[in-house]
Amino acid sequence: MSNRWKLPDLGIGIGLRTVHFGSILGKNPPIDWFEVLSENFMLTGGRPMYVLDQVAERYPVALHGVSLGIGNTDPVNFDHLVQLKALAARTRAHWVSDHLCWTGILGRNTHDLLPMPYTEEALRHTVARVKQVSDFLERPLVLENPSSYVEFAASTMPEWEFLARLAAEADCALLLDVNNVYVSSFNHGFDPNAYVDAIPADRVVQYHVAGHTHKGTHIIDTHSDHAIDAVWELYRRAWSRTGPTATLYEWDENIPDLETVHAEALKARAHREEPAAVGA
Amino acid sequence: MAHAVPLQRLQRWMQTVVVHPKTVGEAVASPEAEFDVPASRLADVVLPSKTLTPLERIGIYHGMYLLRMRDVLAGDYEALEHFMGEMAFTGLARGYVLAYPSRSYSLNRLGDRLPEYLRNAPRVRHRGFCIDLARLELAIQQAFDAAETPALTAAAIAAVPAEAWETARLQTVDAFRLLAFRYPVNAYLQSFRDDDHDHPRPRRQDTWVAVYRRDYKVWRLDLPRPAHDLLADLSKGVPLGRAVGAALERGGRRPPDTEDLFRWFRQWASGGVFQSVDLSPGD
Repeated sequence: MSNRWKLPDLGIGIGLRTVHFGSILGKNPPIDWFEVLSENFMLTGGRPMYVLDQVAERYPVALHGVSLGIGNTDPVNFDHLVQLKALAARTRAHWVSDHLCWTGILGRNTHDLLPMPYTEEALRHTVARVKQVSDFLERPLVLENPSSYVEFAASTMPEWEFLARLAAEADCALLLDVNNVYVSSFNHGFDPNAYVDAIPADRVVQYHVAGHTHKGTHIIDTHSDHAIDAVWELYRRAWSRTGPTATLYEWDENIPDLETVHAEALKARAHREEPAAVGA
Repeated sequence: MAHAVPLQRLQRWMQTVVVHPKTVGEAVASPEAEFDVPASRLADVVLPSKTLTPLERIGIYHGMYLLRMRDVLAGDYEALEHFMGEMAFTGLARGYVLAYPSRSYSLNRLGDRLPEYLRNAPRVRHRGFCIDLARLELAIQQAFDAAETPALTAAAIAAVPAEAWETARLQTVDAFRLLAFRYPVNAYLQSFRDDDHDHPRPRRQDTWVAVYRRDYKVWRLDLPRPAHDLLADLSKGVPLGRAVGAALERGGRRPPDTEDLFRWFRQWASGGVFQSVDLSPGD
């Protein structure tokens, strides 16, 4: 199955990070594609933009944001969207993604991916904003399932149902982060397989895989390590439903050299080739 | 029983708690937070997990907020953090983000007002030195992030008729900052970057520095005062002849001679400090 927008399977990519700029430009490594953190390339005009232009010239690119705040109850920030749209055009980005979350209100930005309550009110609110943003960007917004540490008592549906309904009602695409599914499943005590199985497969245009930090009582989504086997198993399970879909390995803390990050990402190959044991 | 708080109020409450500068317990019990959710009803809003109470769960976000802001500021002000020490810098960051929280979608400009904040921030030792060091590190960030403007080429300089230089105005590149300090902060920054533990002491000493970017790399150039003053005039649009005349007349402890002037201009031009020569008639 391919996604309903026929957005391409870009292969196995990694995030574009400052520490790797020299290696990428100097060695032209055979990496399928790069995901670019949108806000890191806004309000800057020096070396980061030069590197980004070079990377976008040589590799397929997708934009991934952390500040859209699609669930914020403040009005949509069109200054941000203008910058985002321009960056997408400049890099010829295949798609633009952000997170199902809110980031701050009353003009503030906490720069965190704060959890939404999964209520009918929040769903109506988020659907309207996704439509507004997609219309402005003139492309379907891609939304990622978040990792979270808080559950609201007011929620009337599980996250996967909220996400599926949001995607259908706002006609948006999904970025399925299987590490986030795992992290939240531990923190909130749900079955991660049920989550993955409930996601509308034809709306998934990208995967994220990453490592996390287990604190004993909870898991933090740190992107600081190798992914554990259980996360790769979730990826295998999800991939068997969606078929070939662009996959990205995220490593954001204690970032090793480019070769190590790429080698970790390429582990996805093994899980893209074997059939999944669905329904076990 | 679930306490159905409307979305907007829920977000206002959670943001109030997350960004509160004290402990999460104090945050939840603060009047601002209790305006939306009484502390006694926390469990009606946030569910416990098998291992964490509602307070501990919201505390994860609360704890991460200050760490994140502090880390961003420490990335922008590495030498200042080193000078102040980790604890004092964390205290500074806590007060700063309370006074100047991020209102941007980008973290690139979070620390723009730190030098200003330092003027009145509580419990800052060697305040003057800290302010100057912060100003220098801010100028470096600004030069790093400035829009790329092509530097004046040797060919463009050669094309200017000799008689036109008297009234010509030199325009600096966007990635250029000129600074006057009361402390030797550039020497401190260099010793920090060299991992040299014999840092200059924070004693009063007037110093002058140009910060500029060439080929996507930020450079710092120590200047004698006359060179600083001349560059200051030029960057304000004073015609070259008048600026040079003023530099020669200013005198000072060691007035520049024409050899100094030629050396400076060669250095500035080859360093990419200027982007254009304006030959249009001025005032």
